[in-house]
Formats: sequence, structure tokens, C-alpha cells
Amino acid sequence: MTLQNCLILAFILFAIGTWGVLRRRHMVGMLISIEIMLNAANINFISFAYFKAADATAGALFSIFVIAVTACEMAIALAIVITMYRRHHSLDVNQLRDLHE
Amino acid sequence: MTLLSNALFSDIMFYLVAAVMIGTAIATIMAKNLLQSAVFLIFSFVGTAILYLMLHAEFMAMAQIMVYAGGVIIFVIFTILLTSHLGESALHIKLPRTFIALVISLAFLWVMVRFVVLTPDLNVATPTATSGYASLSSFALRLLSTGPEGFVIPFEIISLLLLVTLVCAITIARKSKGEE
Repeated sequence: MTLQNCLILAFILFAIGTWGVLRRRHMVGMLISIEIMLNAANINFISFAYFKAADATAGALFSIFVIAVTACEMAIALAIVITMYRRHHSLDVNQLRDLHE
Repeated sequence: MTLLSNALFSDIMFYLVAAVMIGTAIATIMAKNLLQSAVFLIFSFVGTAILYLMLHAEFMAMAQIMVYAGGVIIFVIFTILLTSHLGESALHIKLPRTFIALVISLAFLWVMVRFVVLTPDLNVATPTATSGYASLSSFALRLLSTGPEGFVIPFEIISLLLLVTLVCAITIARKSKGEE
């Protein structure tokens, strides 16, 4: 296991997440894909902290902050999903186009 | 890269970026649809940011992206979308969605893996971290220490963010009085 392996794994996960975000139309599906992408970013943080950082704890701490911000983002996003479902009875993102009505 | 000398490469890149900037600027002026012209303006601004990067003004490039491409244009697009009905079919893309998404993500993967493989610095197997670098006690000591090495202010900010987010989530998701 080298740093290179970890980074390539993280990039593969990130690319899979990008694919998911771009091809899904269902809002929850997009959120799940975004979670995969954030997970890849976290793998990057930890692997750099483990292999390269002069101060490994500080590097690993950043992934804690990423996790906290992810939790915030999911809370807001799921609240929006619930409101959207209540209003439209559908979670197709194309429905967001008439958000201003 | 080995075929091209560095100066020639930067020359070619400059002409490419300049052509993109001029082309998108003309498209901004000529586009019939206001929304399309705003999107072309984003590309023009991104081209300007690439030019700043080539001139080694990294901070200016970041500011350009964040303020113009991130802030001003999003504001403009929101204003256009909220005040008119242009947005309904203005940006319809006819390409097959799954295929294009796969192409974009594979292109990203190819570029990133290429850079990682070409950087010999990253091919290390010996970790610099000591054991227990991510243990609970070391996390807690660093998170809550007030010294120059501590993260107590980000910790407080993130806790405030969590609180605000929870309040926002409840506000968004709760039923209003008239609603069933």
C-alpha cells in the first residue's frame, strides 16, 4: 500500500461519484453520489496525513471537519427533499426548474 | 510534453486560452437567450482565470473564480431565472445523459491518475505518521487545546454550524399551518 495506490483509489471513487451525480435524476440518488465523492476526498486527507504530513494529527483532524460539514449538508438536503416531495409528490430534479412558482 | 519545449507549449496554451476567451465573449454578446449568454460569460471568466494562472498570479485567479464565476454569475443566473420564464427549455441538452456523464467522469479520472502516476514523490510506502496519530486522545487534545497548535476555534465554528443547520432543517421541513 503506497500513497499512490490510495490516491488512485480515491480518484476512482470520486469519478464514480461524478458519474452518479451527472446521470441520476432522482434527488436522493444524487445525494448518495455526493456522499461517495466526499468519501473519496476524506480518503485523500487521511492518506496524505498518514504518508506525508509533518503533523499527521492535524491532517487527520480535517476529515473530522469534513464529516461534520457533510452531516450538516445532508440535514439541509434531506429537509429540502421532504419539502419537495410534499409539494410535488415527485423527486425528479427537473421539477426544481419551477422552484420560483 | 517531451515533444514540445516549454516555451512553445505555453505559447500554444496562450493562443488556445485567448481564442476561447474571445469566442465566448462574442458568444456572450450574440446569444439570443439571456441565460445562454450568462453561461458563456462563465466560460469567459474561467478563461481569464487560466490566463492569470499562466501569469503566476495565483491569488488573482482564485479571486476571479470565486467572485466572478462563483458569485456574480450565479447571482445573475438566479435573477434571470426568477424574473422570467426563459429557463424552462433554454438549457436543454439533447445528448444521452448516462453516456456523457460516464465520459466526463472517465476524463477526470484519466487526468488525475496521470498526474499521480507521473509524480514520483507520491510513490512512498513508508509512512511519516507515528502510531496513534489518529487516536481519540490525540484528536481530543488537539481539538480542544487553546495553544497555537489547537483547533478550538474551528471546533466552535463547526458546532455553531451544526446547530444552525439543524434549526434550518427543521424550519424547512416542518409543515406550515395552512398545509395538510
